[in-house]
Amino acid sequence: MGKTIIPFGPQHPVLPEPLQLKLVMRDEKVLEAIPSIGYVHRGLEKLAEQKDFMKNIYLVERVCGICSNMHALSYCMAIEEIMQIEIPDRARFLRVIWAELHRIHSHLLWLGLLADSFGFESLFMQVWKSREKIMDILEKTAGHRIFISTNTVGGTHKDLTKEQQKDVLATVASVWDDMKAVEKVFLNDYTVQHRLKGVGVLPKEIAYELGTVGPMARASGIVFDHRTRGYAAYGDLEFEPVVETDGDSWARTKVRLFEVYQSVRLIREAIGKLPDGEIFTPFKGFPDGEAVVRLEQPRGEVMYYVRANGTKMLDRLRIRTPTFANLPSLLHMLPGSSLADVPVLILTIDPCISCTER
Amino acid sequence: MLGNVTEISIDTIINQVHQKKDEGYRFVSMTTIENPDLTIDLYYHFDREYQMENLKLTVDKALELPSISKIFLAAVFVENEIQELFGVNFDGKVINYGGHFILSDADLENPMCRKQIVIEQMEDN
Repeated sequence: MGKTIIPFGPQHPVLPEPLQLKLVMRDEKVLEAIPSIGYVHRGLEKLAEQKDFMKNIYLVERVCGICSNMHALSYCMAIEEIMQIEIPDRARFLRVIWAELHRIHSHLLWLGLLADSFGFESLFMQVWKSREKIMDILEKTAGHRIFISTNTVGGTHKDLTKEQQKDVLATVASVWDDMKAVEKVFLNDYTVQHRLKGVGVLPKEIAYELGTVGPMARASGIVFDHRTRGYAAYGDLEFEPVVETDGDSWARTKVRLFEVYQSVRLIREAIGKLPDGEIFTPFKGFPDGEAVVRLEQPRGEVMYYVRANGTKMLDRLRIRTPTFANLPSLLHMLPGSSLADVPVLILTIDPCISCTER
Repeated sequence: MLGNVTEISIDTIINQVHQKKDEGYRFVSMTTIENPDLTIDLYYHFDREYQMENLKLTVDKALELPSISKIFLAAVFVENEIQELFGVNFDGKVINYGGHFILSDADLENPMCRKQIVIEQMEDN
């Protein structure tokens, strides 16, 4: 039997965004896979050079809807580093609260899509029903479900009243209960295990070699989570990275599932320790210099490089998103797999093509 | 401010990157910045235990650079991206998309490049 080349995507029922893979097949086995992008590239890095550095906060939020808050956070931290702005303590904690709400909604979105990818529609709907609660609380606290625009250079735009803090706590408690109910299905159901266990194994050494980040890396046993460096208020909160060692699709699922609980705990602790005071440090002037900032988005490490020249326009903004770092892992995971597992394997890297093609 | 920067030259790229790999660094990314004098600054970013190390290369944009994708496979996509968006050529890439990783035939050539615009002055008759 000769080889066949199958174009997988860019339009495919399991892909929420356009990614194409050229799959070299023999029968049902994948021999080689070459990813290809370019369907939604917007040139946002170039656009950032033509906008006021403060307006770029809103621009970088539009790199990706799912991690929008953390894109703005990364950018603000880079500008704050160049301009040596120290933000108020209350703003540091507020940044954590909204960032972790975003992490929960990203992971719930992914868990639902995963269930959908192997035809478990009721599980998909249960998870997304719970995700709606997070979207609602984002709207209630920030005025928008997706682009919440809470971050600004020098702190945050918005604050949380006592009433809103109670609402956030009630919401995450409800999500916790929801996830406890569906956790049993993710961990014990025969169908889930059959489709995920032992599928797409990425050993620790290869994951490190390929520069894998985020839940992908942690599911392969790499203890790597930028939050442990203590940016924003993470240094004042108690947590350990969620790490699994099997390196398969099931391990990646467990990492994201357990990180939902971790985010709930972080939000509870951050609200409990939320100090009184200002939420914004005023500043004057324009940034001059260069900085690299890395932080932990739901999909893993994001890197922002900024070069500023002392005017209101930047010389360069470079964004390396976690999906871009996780693409090479497909080169290892897909060869040898069966065609039926390809959609699940692509999903387990939690691909965000909007980020990748910023 | 950007710390841990080591200036390198085109002749030492491969050795320096090999050294990073031998020392247990993870490849993070590459960043290209166009300078006004038709040179580029190219950063190679590496990480070990959350410590970032940056190799900085400043070269004429027209020069062909050696690919590091045989040392770090993870670099192959970013090299293709830089080649298409900035017109910087890398020799010996493990996967060469031939200019079609992001762009299609109909796209502008190297769309992230600063364009050199020549303004011709009208001579008075």
